[in-house]
Amino acid sequence: MTRFLARRLLQLGPVLLGVSVIVFLVLHLSPGDPAEVMLGANANREDLERLRHQMGLDQPLHVQYLTWIGHVARGDLGRSLWMKRPVLGEVLERFKATLLLTGSALFLSTVGGIALGIVSATHANSLLDRLSAVASLFGASMPVFWLGLVLMVIFALWLGWLPASGMYAPYGGGGLRDLLAHLALPAVTLAAASVTIIARLTRATMLETLGQDYVRTARAKGLGDRVVVWRHALKNALIPIVTVVGVQTGYLLGGAVLTETVFAWPGVGTLVVQGILARDVPLVQGGVLVIAVSFVLVNLAVDTLYAWLDPRIKFQ
Amino acid sequence: MTAGRLVSLVLMFSIAFALSAPVAAQPAGTLVVGVVAEPVALDPAQVTDFNSNRVGRRIVEPLVAFADETTQIVPGLAESWTISPEGLQYTFKLRRGVKFHDGTPFNAAAVKFSIERQIDPEHPAAKLAKYPFANYFFGNVKAIDVVDDATVRFVLKEPRASFLVVMAAAAASVVSPTAMMKAGVDFASAPVGTGPFRFGSWTRGQQVVLEKFPEYWRGAVKFDRVVYRPIVEDQARLTELLTGTLDLIVGVPPDFVAQLEGSPKVNLMKQVGAHVWYLGINNQKKPFDDKRVRQALNYAVNKDAIVKDVLKSTGAISRGPVLPGTWGANPDLPVYVYDPARAKKLLAEAGYPNGFSTTMWVPESGSGMQSPSAMAVVIQSNLKAVGVNAAMQTMEWGAYIAKLRTKEQELFALSWAAGSEDPDMVMYPLFHSSQWSPNGPNRALYKNEKFDALLAEARHVTDQGKRAALYREAQRILVDDAPWVFVDHEIQIAATSKRVQGFKLHPSFDLRVEAISLR
Repeated sequence: MTRFLARRLLQLGPVLLGVSVIVFLVLHLSPGDPAEVMLGANANREDLERLRHQMGLDQPLHVQYLTWIGHVARGDLGRSLWMKRPVLGEVLERFKATLLLTGSALFLSTVGGIALGIVSATHANSLLDRLSAVASLFGASMPVFWLGLVLMVIFALWLGWLPASGMYAPYGGGGLRDLLAHLALPAVTLAAASVTIIARLTRATMLETLGQDYVRTARAKGLGDRVVVWRHALKNALIPIVTVVGVQTGYLLGGAVLTETVFAWPGVGTLVVQGILARDVPLVQGGVLVIAVSFVLVNLAVDTLYAWLDPRIKFQ
Repeated sequence: MTAGRLVSLVLMFSIAFALSAPVAAQPAGTLVVGVVAEPVALDPAQVTDFNSNRVGRRIVEPLVAFADETTQIVPGLAESWTISPEGLQYTFKLRRGVKFHDGTPFNAAAVKFSIERQIDPEHPAAKLAKYPFANYFFGNVKAIDVVDDATVRFVLKEPRASFLVVMAAAAASVVSPTAMMKAGVDFASAPVGTGPFRFGSWTRGQQVVLEKFPEYWRGAVKFDRVVYRPIVEDQARLTELLTGTLDLIVGVPPDFVAQLEGSPKVNLMKQVGAHVWYLGINNQKKPFDDKRVRQALNYAVNKDAIVKDVLKSTGAISRGPVLPGTWGANPDLPVYVYDPARAKKLLAEAGYPNGFSTTMWVPESGSGMQSPSAMAVVIQSNLKAVGVNAAMQTMEWGAYIAKLRTKEQELFALSWAAGSEDPDMVMYPLFHSSQWSPNGPNRALYKNEKFDALLAEARHVTDQGKRAALYREAQRILVDDAPWVFVDHEIQIAATSKRVQGFKLHPSFDLRVEAISLR
């Protein structure tokens, strides 16, 4: 187990190196450079050439990359070309907000999805099951930004229950309650698509598990319905669900960009998008590296969970 | 507990929680402004975008300023100035007794520091920042002399009558030299100046707070602090305004204007900005090297429909590059009215009775671009009606400006926000032949020797009346040559809560919140 973890963590190195090369090349091969974007339509040649020189853009590509990677090796992600601030601090601060949003959405979608799925499975073809199927179709096919705007109009504009955007009130805010009030709409918006996917999958695997012999044996032993479903069936039904939850985590981390934009949530997604538009290589690299590390760690956690759920799975 | 009960409990809990979390109202002395994007940095010499400058200009100020409702030059940190007869020396008398927010006295040395850091590579503050528009603004400055503590003289390489307008630009703002040398690279995010507000705090991605500077030389502002919140999504900005958590928003999208006009909760403001949106034409490429073809395109485009139907009257039809009603504008310019029959006739005369095919480049968004795709679609169908098939290519902004440096363009949508009504700030960079892309922003590759001579002459004359006469003649030639399809000047829209009093939009696109008092 320890060797498995160590090996997986060592693989992180090549993965991150690959990611950084790809990000670097994609940003450099796309038309337009940071100096051009910064100067925009007003640029004259002297300013453009001077700025390119100051940003080191007149160096050959491999020199630019090696200079950057050299700094990274010393723990320095550099300064954003565009905002002039150190990338590491900027990205980590924003990542905390993304993590909070993604984590809340993941919690909502997993708890809600599994609960809904189990109810649908144990009451298959009931009214609740049908309603859940309709809601799933709705949730999975609705664009995030549209749902976000609808929720905002209903809960912030019409009902006035929740704040429309931001993470804290700009004045007199800052408490846990203020944070939760601001978190509610974006977290629900982000969770909407995942909750339906997890619910439908849970229903399917639960139905399959509930039809197996050992479940019938458990019932025959006279065990109560609750014990059979929650203790015997659920754990065995969880493996595909855990896989999907892992995949959904990646989706949520990536999908957070739209939600963050709609609700002015100060996350890393919006920062990276702004960085891409400005061709701000150090900033985008920093943001993507943090997201890539968390994605790899989530996958690792999922793989580790399998062994706990099913002792037959062994790590080689 | 069954899953069903759990779900209903969670639902009930969240509704109860929601009901108990009332939306807080602002404290009396705080103004909250919703901006369309987060400022990049706050030292105006280091940034290039409106959002950053709208905040940064509250902290630092230039020597001369724009008047309240026009871009005419009025005294700022300089009380008065004299211009040498040949137009090469500008001597500014500085206001005495003014202090920077950190207590450093404002003087001639600070002015010299603020500009020289941008243009002199050996300057101690040159390495602390990148100054993107140093050459554009101050490339013409030969020397800056400190005559005495309260007098500073700028010596120019060549006369340029619009130099005072340059000195009113955000990049010409005066910063505290002690503060900059102390803060180094981080000065960009927290500059120190003499303005009505001093830097307070910046929570990344959430808000920038500026605090009132009580010793401001014009007199302290009438409220305590201003909070800028970046909210990209239009609907979110609007909702926050309508629920009372924002006091002021700009960049109201055309489709929301009607909705806000009827609202009892907000005041709506409109103001034509020093801006022009145009369809550029490559004047050197066939068939556009024929004046009749360019004129035909101007007659073919229905600007009235674009302004009314796409922009919902958030634009004013443009006759030329200079803002109408300002001192340099030619009031007698002919208008290219919508006349497809005449366009067809001109095309036939030029040898294209059946029209031709071409390409039209359009950015999907961009500063000052209004609604580029929707506007371009109208233009495309207008052109098709007279036989010109323009294949539309939409590009991301960064890719777009890179592509515009290639000279391959045929038709291209672009805009220019000079931020000043002075014709030199729009006509020279966009139409003088020395500014042909990639040297400068003349991407239409327009060249007319008589026009060039008028513009050069107008730079050498300092008398505004004489300059106006030269620019009027230049505009007449320009509009007849039709190097662009002139489309519109943007009408800025702002909306404020009812407690905001005394706010006015400014044609320079600046956001002067210091004039506000809160009820």
